[in-house]
Amino acid sequence: MTDDMQEIISDFVTEAEESLDRIDPLFVELETNGEDKEILNDIFRCVHTLKGAAGFLGFQPVVDVAHTSENILKRLREGEIALSKRIVDAILASVDTLRVLIGHVKHGENLDENIGPLLAELDAALAEASGKPGNGGSHPAEAPSAASPAPAPAAVADAPVAVSAPAPVAAATAAAVPAAAKAAPAPPADKEAEKAAPEKKDAEKKKDEVSNLRVDIGRIDKVMDLTGEVVLARNRLLNLINTISAHYADDPAVSNVMETVSFLDLVTSDLQLSVMKMRMQALQKVFGKFPRVVRDLASAIGKEVDLKITGEETEVDRSVIEHIGDPMVHIIRNAIDHGLEAPEARKAKGKPERGTISIDASQRGNQIVIEISDDGKGIDLDRVKRKAIERGIVSADEAERMTEEAAIGLIFQAGFSTMDVATELSGRGVGMDVVKTSISKLSGFVEVKTRKDEGTTFRVNIPLTLAIIQALMVRTAGVQYAVPLSLIEEIVRVAPEEIALAGGRRVLVLREKVLPFYELSEMLGKGRPPEGAVRYAVVVAVGDSRFCLSVDKLLGEEEVVIKPLEGIVTEASHTLGSTITGDGKVVLILDLASISRSLTGSKRT
Amino acid sequence: MATLDYKEKILVVDDFVTMRRIVKNLLKQLGYENIMEAEDGEQAYAKLKGGGFGFVVSDWNMPNLDGLGLVQKVRSDPELKSLPFLMVTAEAEKEKVIEAIKAGVSNYVVKPFTAEILKEKIEKIFEKLGK
Repeated sequence: MTDDMQEIISDFVTEAEESLDRIDPLFVELETNGEDKEILNDIFRCVHTLKGAAGFLGFQPVVDVAHTSENILKRLREGEIALSKRIVDAILASVDTLRVLIGHVKHGENLDENIGPLLAELDAALAEASGKPGNGGSHPAEAPSAASPAPAPAAVADAPVAVSAPAPVAAATAAAVPAAAKAAPAPPADKEAEKAAPEKKDAEKKKDEVSNLRVDIGRIDKVMDLTGEVVLARNRLLNLINTISAHYADDPAVSNVMETVSFLDLVTSDLQLSVMKMRMQALQKVFGKFPRVVRDLASAIGKEVDLKITGEETEVDRSVIEHIGDPMVHIIRNAIDHGLEAPEARKAKGKPERGTISIDASQRGNQIVIEISDDGKGIDLDRVKRKAIERGIVSADEAERMTEEAAIGLIFQAGFSTMDVATELSGRGVGMDVVKTSISKLSGFVEVKTRKDEGTTFRVNIPLTLAIIQALMVRTAGVQYAVPLSLIEEIVRVAPEEIALAGGRRVLVLREKVLPFYELSEMLGKGRPPEGAVRYAVVVAVGDSRFCLSVDKLLGEEEVVIKPLEGIVTEASHTLGSTITGDGKVVLILDLASISRSLTGSKRT
Repeated sequence: MATLDYKEKILVVDDFVTMRRIVKNLLKQLGYENIMEAEDGEQAYAKLKGGGFGFVVSDWNMPNLDGLGLVQKVRSDPELKSLPFLMVTAEAEKEKVIEAIKAGVSNYVVKPFTAEILKEKIEKIFEKLGK
């Protein structure tokens, strides 16, 4: 029986978290677009169900908070009271508190939260709203007059804002899975159809309904692991069969085996794709939290912000979902805090008083591209340079000679920040470099474009597949390496005479473009090749950076499974991991983004 | 029959998985093993038409066809009209219970409830039937 209960509680936690995640953006939408009975109903049902299950499982504080919120939601739904900022704040605060409580349940901790002040505030907000009965009609919640009450009490402000990445699941194993999360938004929204149009909504619902199964994440990872092994074995088999068929071309048995291996090859590729898809989820899961973040932040610092999101249906691997939220939130906070001007300042510039933050996600080939733009004042590069000089990050001389790209890159340096007084929100100088590191961990990179008074765009690039990639095999200084193909633009055979010098550095001129030229063996600390040797230059493109990595020999392309190296991989090693090649060797996979970073760091133009 | 036999097939109806599991768990605690589930009134009705059910426990608020609608449908169906039906309600819905009783529910239970309470309710239902 205890196992059953454990599972039930696990499922309860998962469902509760999903419900709470849905409520945030719904509420923000209510606030901006006016009262919508369907949305209110949806929110009400979330809270009501949460209360019901919590009651059975004995989580009294959850019941209390849910019950009090439910009261307000019910009255709102019936049109008995009107939506006000105080009510929205109070309900959002109770959502935060419920999250904290559910978190305690998840980790098997006591539900020791002082919910008294929150309950009091909820009651007070309700009492106040009841004093002035609503007219049941739809009107945006910006209506509150000058008599608007103070924001929610301090005790509530301590509740964590709901933007942290989900905590690791405790001993209990069951966890929500991509498909399950995807189905959750669609059916319930349709379920709350008004009586007026039940048939139409029913037809829609049948279209949206997806058949789902909750699967333990560990099991999916195991399948992924095994698939990786199958891919490696397939590579090995292909390799062996090619050797054999060269010797025994006439033997019919051999051609049979070849056929079978070809078939296996195709099926393995399909298997690999299917398994990858199992772990993919729509970015909506992460983007759903942003309306609330924007609302809270804008409200706290007195700016008016519109948030536009597109491409949220773009799917990415689960690991990206888990780690992309924090850096994005930080970029958004920066945009609102530093980028967007206050309404009066915008008006003076002839801009609309409400600033706009646009988030767009799309898949471009093998990469996922997420752009976060604001129409604010742009990054003041002179100010950035001044601060960098002040903090000793660069010398005045270097700052003078810097390219715009390199200057922008300064904001990503550790300890850099231009806010003179560290605000609670950002400007503590630890943000942007953490953003960069988080994104590097996903094997991605960030690019920034900015224009004075027009705005700034942060573009985040993340590879689509994290575990299995196409690689170019090369050999240099007697060692074989795998180079990720997606970042390679071209390969050029280079005679020693073609390598030129520019400003003391070696370069290669390729179709009138000057590319920095580096020896891979030197980068990896294995010395230089003999003078006068023919080189093969691998032209690498990482973000806006292009350069050549020179090697002794090219060995061909291969699909490799990235096997992480425990305890060894660091920025300095420039590796993504290792792999086992078709002919059974262990080969290191180069991290081109990391190499590019170390080159840009030492580059002074 | 004066009791609900442990071999009888029971249908648990609620649109939320966790709730269905909790109710199922409580029934198991009482010794009932043959338990089926439905997500809403329509699905429940379809399953009941399949026959063989000895008892229904249903939530009130559900999409497509709610608890009240389900009971009405069941009671107007010649094959199912005497099927014992327990309605699960929330504390605040007690006034609506009159409606449910008029529609023909055998009994109602307010959530949250324990296995003991559930047992009592079931016994009450089947005592009445026994008479």
